[in-house]
Amino acid sequence: MSNAPHILVIDDEPQILRAIRTILTEKQFRVTTASRGEEGLTLAAANEPDLVILDLGLPDMDGVEVCARLREWTQIPIIILSVRDSEREKVAALDKGADDYLTKPFGIEELLARVRVALRHSSRMQGTPSKVVNAGQITIDLAWHIVKRGNEEVKLTGREYRLLAYLASNHGRVLTHQSILAHVWGPEDADHTEYLRVYMRQLRKKLEIDPERPQYILTEPGIGYRFIADE
Amino acid sequence: MNFANMRNSSFISRLWQYLLAFLLIASITVLFFVLRDVLDTTLIALLYLIPLGIITAYWGLGPGITSALITFLTFNYFFIEPYYTFTVHRAADVVVLVVFLIVAVVISQLVARAQAGLAMAMAREREATQLYELSTALTGLHDDHAVAQILARQVRAVSQGEYVEFNVIGTQPFAFHLPETNPPARAPELIVPIQAARGILGEIQLWRTAPTISSGEKRLLQTFASQGALALERAWLAQAESRAKVLEESDRLKSAILSSVSHELRTPLSTIKAAASSLRSREVGWDSPARSELIAAIDDEADHLNMLVGNLLDMSRIESGALKPKREWNILPEIVGSVLGRMKHLAEEHQIEVDVPESLPLIPVDYIQMEQVFTNLVSNSLKYAPAKTVIRIRARVENEMIHVQVSNQGPQVPREHLERIFDKFYRVTSADRVTGTGLGLSICKGIIEAHGGRIWAENVSDGLAFNFILPLTWNGTMPTQLPMDVETE
Repeated sequence: MSNAPHILVIDDEPQILRAIRTILTEKQFRVTTASRGEEGLTLAAANEPDLVILDLGLPDMDGVEVCARLREWTQIPIIILSVRDSEREKVAALDKGADDYLTKPFGIEELLARVRVALRHSSRMQGTPSKVVNAGQITIDLAWHIVKRGNEEVKLTGREYRLLAYLASNHGRVLTHQSILAHVWGPEDADHTEYLRVYMRQLRKKLEIDPERPQYILTEPGIGYRFIADE
Repeated sequence: MNFANMRNSSFISRLWQYLLAFLLIASITVLFFVLRDVLDTTLIALLYLIPLGIITAYWGLGPGITSALITFLTFNYFFIEPYYTFTVHRAADVVVLVVFLIVAVVISQLVARAQAGLAMAMAREREATQLYELSTALTGLHDDHAVAQILARQVRAVSQGEYVEFNVIGTQPFAFHLPETNPPARAPELIVPIQAARGILGEIQLWRTAPTISSGEKRLLQTFASQGALALERAWLAQAESRAKVLEESDRLKSAILSSVSHELRTPLSTIKAAASSLRSREVGWDSPARSELIAAIDDEADHLNMLVGNLLDMSRIESGALKPKREWNILPEIVGSVLGRMKHLAEEHQIEVDVPESLPLIPVDYIQMEQVFTNLVSNSLKYAPAKTVIRIRARVENEMIHVQVSNQGPQVPREHLERIFDKFYRVTSADRVTGTGLGLSICKGIIEAHGGRIWAENVSDGLAFNFILPLTWNGTMPTQLPMDVETE
């Protein structure tokens, strides 16, 4: 029990804290809670949790700032909780180093999936990155730069491949438009979301079964994209 | 034009009048001189009165009197014996001369007085016309800025001033001036207060050095100012009244929101409460199928509740003007696809046909808001159109706009309701028959209009169609061309 992952939840709503604590404890996680930003930062420094779940609307300080302060000294995964329509803050927090987000109200399945992805990603950061990513029929060999759908190799342009490789090596996590553009095109093109739209569409046509209802390359409205791979 | 010039020109025109008068007298004297032998002295005296009348009528009293005196002398000199002297021998001629002088002067004065009376009457009429024009222009104005604008324009037109400024004091002071430049560096030549029953509302400042502002003009401008005061007070009263109306309307709206919200929110809440409490009561067995049904109900109704709250938030944002689209170049088929993907389980009983060509250009819209528009239009169609019918989504480029149509085979809407279905809480059917906040379509309208587009509904042969158009350009530009990328890995 002592080496079960330790999760710090920072939220000012007691009901949310209660619900998250109940479900996470049930799933064998260790849980600490804080209802204010400062308290959360102190607890994070003292306990060095494996993951932080952070509400953006805290009474004493902005969640984006908590995120930035945590990132000054630690790379532990941070999952943001926020209400609908705060895309700007979500993107700000993600750009400040948060790993993922969940919009309130959220289903517990979703929360658990995000927690698993974040923990797996942080453990992978310490070990060797996986060389092959599988998503349904799709196989992406990141070492040999080969993409297959079933047994057939999919021809991708250089840019398409770099885009897919970036998504796949961060599978399960949300990637903001800006971070994808900066990574695949370069920082000077970070505002050209239209490039992304067009390239994502091409990728979906080459990889998805139904490009209109993608299963692997998902749009996160107003935020960015997420690649879903097999667990 | 400066002061000295103005004065000079009026002096010169005055001089011309005298000169013309002399020329007229001189030429007539020459004519009479030629005819001296055939014309009788008395007749000449009478004939001389004609040019005198004309001179006074055209050029005023000064030239008239002067001409009368000159005529008196020339008449004596040329036409009364002995000729070429100012002496008079005959007593009768003395009488003629004296009578001529008196008559000439009297005629000049009478004509001049009649002229002055006429000029005054014309000036009065002009004033009356100007006042009439002003009050006509001010009638029906409910905006104090428009009042200021019209008043300043009229004052400038009437006074020919070089600069007019209109200052309004009060809770929201403002100034309006003509022309659109900075005022002259000196103090205005005339300041007329705008005086109303409850005090001074402002002032009109007039810059005009020449000609000097006459007392008549001052009086006229004061009349203008009091007309302006009345118009301003009227405008303010009208504004206060419309504010009161808006408050009343928003009050009415608030109670409509409250009743709609409490009704709509309570429905899913009741379901959740009932399901949760029966699950707690342990009357439902762990393995019974009712259990999973109850859980699904809680889940669905929580989502529904979330959607209702989201709609209310959207509406309040649209109402307060805080709905600012975060525009990006987006692919319409992607938005439509994502909405339909999410609504799949809701649309199982209907058939959805999508005709949104891949070849459409990128459109500059807020992705999330556009999803909201499609979600609301499709869910509205799902709600009203009977099961097994077809819902069509079609998009085309028309006249440099994108035209989207979402049509269903549901009931048509009476013509008079077609526009009003986009109003808040407006329903064609009674609220009990269909669930929802009655906000979906008005949210669509708010979003489309925030994007610079237009939305409308129309009856089509087999049902109802929602249409909207959106501009294809963003700040007048089209999307950036993608850099070429052809190499393959």
